[in-house]
Amino acid sequence: MGEHEHYQPSLTRLASLATSRSSLMSSLMKLYREREGMDDEQLAAFLECDPGALPRLALCRRPRQAPDFRGDIEAIAAHTGADPSRLAKMVRAAEVHEALSAGGTAGGPSILMAARDHEDPAAEEDDTSHSGEATEDDSR
Amino acid sequence: MKCTPEEYAFHQRVLARDPVAFSELAEWLYASLVRDTGRRARSRSGNAVDMTLVEEAVGEALLDYNDAPERYDPEQATLHAYLVMAAYRDFQNAASKERRHAQRQITLAGEDSAQIDVPDGRSELDNLLNRISAEEWWSLVESTFSEPADRQLVIMLANGVRATESYAKVLGITGLPTEEQAREVKRAKDRLLKRLKRLGESHDGRT
Repeated sequence: MGEHEHYQPSLTRLASLATSRSSLMSSLMKLYREREGMDDEQLAAFLECDPGALPRLALCRRPRQAPDFRGDIEAIAAHTGADPSRLAKMVRAAEVHEALSAGGTAGGPSILMAARDHEDPAAEEDDTSHSGEATEDDSR
Repeated sequence: MKCTPEEYAFHQRVLARDPVAFSELAEWLYASLVRDTGRRARSRSGNAVDMTLVEEAVGEALLDYNDAPERYDPEQATLHAYLVMAAYRDFQNAASKERRHAQRQITLAGEDSAQIDVPDGRSELDNLLNRISAEEWWSLVESTFSEPADRQLVIMLANGVRATESYAKVLGITGLPTEEQAREVKRAKDRLLKRLKRLGESHDGRT
């Protein structure tokens, strides 16, 4: 039996490799961690999920824009055990960072709304009920 | 249809951009893909393969599939076979690149090193040591070599120790005939130096 039979692949390594793929949550999580100065433990605490669930989260597709945003967030939250409103908040904040670091105003109003959500604690509560979808709709 | 019903269901979800489909698929297939790609690589090469390269190749194949799932045709192959084939191709490319690189570079320490043309007169290991801080070096060694014996051998290599018997002691093979000791020591050095070389390359890639 060779060495490879004992080799243990790790989804954490796959999640790390995935940070270069913009279609996945991994890239947003990396950006958010860097900008907020968080490590994995802190990010998991913020999302109210187990740190062991972070690789699963990293391999989820980024939520689509409205009208799919809220449904996608809820599906990802259910898959990872994360809190949906915290997850939405992280996604919005990371998208703001992403747009700003791209140097443009490509996101237009939706970026401004996302920035508002990120800074307004009330938005966190709102997201669980309706604002996640409403914000996306408003931005159109 | 070659793919299994379960694979087909996953494939449809990935095509539909289901946000959790790829994550679930990766959890389901990743370990078996790494295992089977490793087996394939080993059976083709007839040698031991670097499983970290295999795992990276599988990761790239999976991520490529997620980026362009329409390239996969369920009529032609199972999803598992398609991904193993893609990963094996990536692995071959990475391994060839490494071999080409190794041919151009020095082989570092060891009895043969004096006969090798070293462009700048230093070993690749020396180059790595010169590029990073001592703290960074220890951190790399700690995180890369989990076996205490490997760490000790790496430290000896870094310090330019050449005596075969010193390495044989660490390897616990002093009871073997001298020739066999030399072979085992060379094998261990080659293995560690190969990893150090890769470490240097990935360090360069990050900086």
